[in-house]
Amino acid sequence: MNGRSVRILFLHEAKMLLRDRRTIFLAFFLPLITVPLILYAMRAMETRRKRGLEELTYRYAVVGSAAETLRALIDQQRRAGPPRPLRKNPHDSREPEFRFHEVPASDPEQALRSREIHFYISALNGTEADALQPKDARDDSEEPGRASTEKKPDTGVLKAPSRPPGLPLARIFYLADRDDSRSGRTKMREFLAGAVRTQRNRLLRESGLPLDPAAVFAVEETSTASVAQATGSQIGKFLTPFLIMFILSGGSIVALDIIAGEKERGSLETLLTTAASRAEIVAAKQLAILSVALCILFIQVGNILVYINFKIIELPEDWIIEVTPLAAVTLVLLFLPVSVFLSAVLLMISAYAKSYKEAQLYFFPVYLVSMVPAVASVLPGISLRSAIALVPIANVSVAAREVLVGKFDWLMLLLTFAVTSWSALAMMRASTRMLSLERLITTSDLDIADLSGGPALFSRQVLAWYAVMGALLLVAALNLPQVQTFRGQLLFNELAVFLGCALLMIWKYRLNIRDALALRPVNPLVWPAVLLLIPSGALVGVGVFRLANLVFPVPESVLEQFSQEIFPAGIPWWQMVFFIAVLPGICEEIAFRGTLLYGLHRRFRPVALTLMVGIIFGLFHVALFRIIPTAYVGVVLTALALLTGSIFPGMLLHAGNNAWAFYLSGSQIAVSKLHWSWYLAAAAVFAAGFYLIYRVRTPYPGLRTGRRSGNK
Amino acid sequence: MNEPVVVRGLTKTFYDESRGEVRAVQAIDFECRAGEIFGLLGANGAGKTTTLRMLSTILAPTAGSAALLGYDIVRDPGRVRQCLGFYSASTALYPKLTARETIEFFARINQLPEKKVPGRVDYLIERFGITTYAGARVDRLSTGMKQKVSIARTIAHDPPILIFDEPTVGLDVLNALELQNMIRELRGQGKTILFSTHIMSEAEKLCDRIAIIHNGRILACDTLANLRMSTGMHYLEDIFVHYVKGQA
Repeated sequence: MNGRSVRILFLHEAKMLLRDRRTIFLAFFLPLITVPLILYAMRAMETRRKRGLEELTYRYAVVGSAAETLRALIDQQRRAGPPRPLRKNPHDSREPEFRFHEVPASDPEQALRSREIHFYISALNGTEADALQPKDARDDSEEPGRASTEKKPDTGVLKAPSRPPGLPLARIFYLADRDDSRSGRTKMREFLAGAVRTQRNRLLRESGLPLDPAAVFAVEETSTASVAQATGSQIGKFLTPFLIMFILSGGSIVALDIIAGEKERGSLETLLTTAASRAEIVAAKQLAILSVALCILFIQVGNILVYINFKIIELPEDWIIEVTPLAAVTLVLLFLPVSVFLSAVLLMISAYAKSYKEAQLYFFPVYLVSMVPAVASVLPGISLRSAIALVPIANVSVAAREVLVGKFDWLMLLLTFAVTSWSALAMMRASTRMLSLERLITTSDLDIADLSGGPALFSRQVLAWYAVMGALLLVAALNLPQVQTFRGQLLFNELAVFLGCALLMIWKYRLNIRDALALRPVNPLVWPAVLLLIPSGALVGVGVFRLANLVFPVPESVLEQFSQEIFPAGIPWWQMVFFIAVLPGICEEIAFRGTLLYGLHRRFRPVALTLMVGIIFGLFHVALFRIIPTAYVGVVLTALALLTGSIFPGMLLHAGNNAWAFYLSGSQIAVSKLHWSWYLAAAAVFAAGFYLIYRVRTPYPGLRTGRRSGNK
Repeated sequence: MNEPVVVRGLTKTFYDESRGEVRAVQAIDFECRAGEIFGLLGANGAGKTTTLRMLSTILAPTAGSAALLGYDIVRDPGRVRQCLGFYSASTALYPKLTARETIEFFARINQLPEKKVPGRVDYLIERFGITTYAGARVDRLSTGMKQKVSIARTIAHDPPILIFDEPTVGLDVLNALELQNMIRELRGQGKTILFSTHIMSEAEKLCDRIAIIHNGRILACDTLANLRMSTGMHYLEDIFVHYVKGQA
């Protein structure tokens, strides 16, 4: 590589960027002005909101058969003076005032809705409360997320963890979507808790207890980690996502235009005919992206530090930030290859896209996908000494957290650095190769696929579809409470995303449904072979996972938590079989061995195709430690589809594999602790099953076998 | 193998998702001599641009070979590009650079020694009459001005071989004529010029030798006089149709 050429090209890029005044203003100067203004406005609004809620007198109503008893309790407590909070803030010297005003309400529900009151309390006597008990028990067992989606007002029930029979109950009804109603609920709940405590103490004293009940036992807590380590752990969780956010958004300012824009303007072809090599062009452009990304990163970090200094952003008072020179150098060395990797990813988007607009389209899903590994540091129980060390970005995320708490696992840090550096280099090579793809260089030519659409265009756009589908799954899982439950998530993923998008693709690109979904009959001998593959393949999969676990162990707690989430208790077995086996067996096969395989089968040769479809299938199973085992299953299912030319055997194998896993989860057989000979025997059966399928194979039609055209 | 451009069995096969395997260029052979304008004459989609893109190393050949000044296009693409100036109607300039900066950039990136860059740039600015707007940004120039800057940047490093791929497409008559005159002048300086066009009159006027290319094959390659003699036809248009129909 010629350093002079790289320097000339880099200066050329920099000159053009600096002449783009609008970009400079929007990217560099506008954030400097707007971010403090936004933060200041947000802080002012928050202060005003807090003060308003603090000074507000909350209107409420009391209804129910025990209303008078409750009123008496409230009155006694009010006269006794402000309650002593259970956990009083030592920095807050103000005594809370009684800012409640009871108003009569014949229809409290209506009064609440019409904002006449902030909340109401339904006071029930013991018998009425007992009658409610079974319903409460049912409510408690509901899946997470259910309560917040209820249309009726959420209830703040003042009750002990196990309410003794006959005890009266005060139920606070409020509107969770109203700030003042929520705040009133909280204050009344604390007030009533204080009242109950006061009454209890009085009763204990009256029954002859000689001690102050509050002095039964003094409790103190001391962290053996230093304050700096605790602070480091907190910062470490969010450092990587923040930095990656800045690098990606900063780098994108120049990256999206740097090749895609040149293609659009027609100057790329001019550049490619100069004496500069592809590698030199890529290196210079990457350097330009990296420089801008780091420049914006430093500006934003500096900006934040200024805000912290001027207390526009307030850090927790008990934080002590201590970063030793060793930690600082290590962090820089860890984040440098990440920056190179991300700028290479951005460059690749730009190289792949035909226009600036198309590059913008790809940026959002890539941004979301990049943020997934970045939050690995917040996963419970994840240590760098695990499979995470092999996952770019995720490894740095975990490593940064460990470094900030003073843990330096040098071997794994070295591995992390090596993996990330290698990934960055691989990505750069991929960008260089992309600059040699004829279709991507010569965009000015008329393109039959672009003009006519249909299957040819589908094969070109299929990966973008799956990137969007992946982003959709992620966004929905994070933001929609309806898809955070077991059933909701599976129904959304399988029916809406996998099946829905597959059918949408078939419709949009006018695909032949039989070809696109590989709906073809197979040799009858395939079926018994698939039945052999179900248990043997599952056991081989466990063996693969154990082998990986020897080198990069996954914490037991993570596996247990995952097992509880994937096989939740309290769901009938037939529903489990439907949700776990039948639904994925059909919908995921349609999406992955159907449309995805069809879209890619002419672009890649069989081995690469099998690996690609398998890995994409694995990536859709989001949890990092599941990627290897699910990618293995994906590879097996893809190989089966290619050998049989049909989706049906894969459906049976997929459903059977999942059902088998569910059966084993409830049985006494500990498949993950078997002797190695079991896995070897399973591998032999598995190989025999595949051999049988190979002998009677009816290959997937139209597979690519010819030589690829070269590049330079 | 002493000619500046030697092409032997050059083949390019594309894989197109909609059409399958497409043989854009099929085992073509030709040479270009020093100081001549060699024309590739063919209809749209005949394989002209693919051939020139292979020679300029933008595309890799599927089979065959080609050498420019003895440098193989596959084994030594950097050297090939260093001795080559490529001009195409579809290529563009950088809008945010000035005319002077554009010529300077292309002179430097094509490895013209640093000490020669200022002199060469001044010479080209004067030669092409762009002194008055040398400091203006390219996006503010007219089409004719941009065309001059484009040619100046093509020859900024004084390459011995020049490729013009349908250079007059989109130009008005006056600008097209001016471009043709510049190409003649460059021939006069001893440059080897490959010129592709689908405009018969242009090929007749400019080219010393013409290769008729159709469906990726060269059907005939000779001087205009010899082509007339061998077909018994006068007009190049008739000669072209004669060979194309003969192949069909």
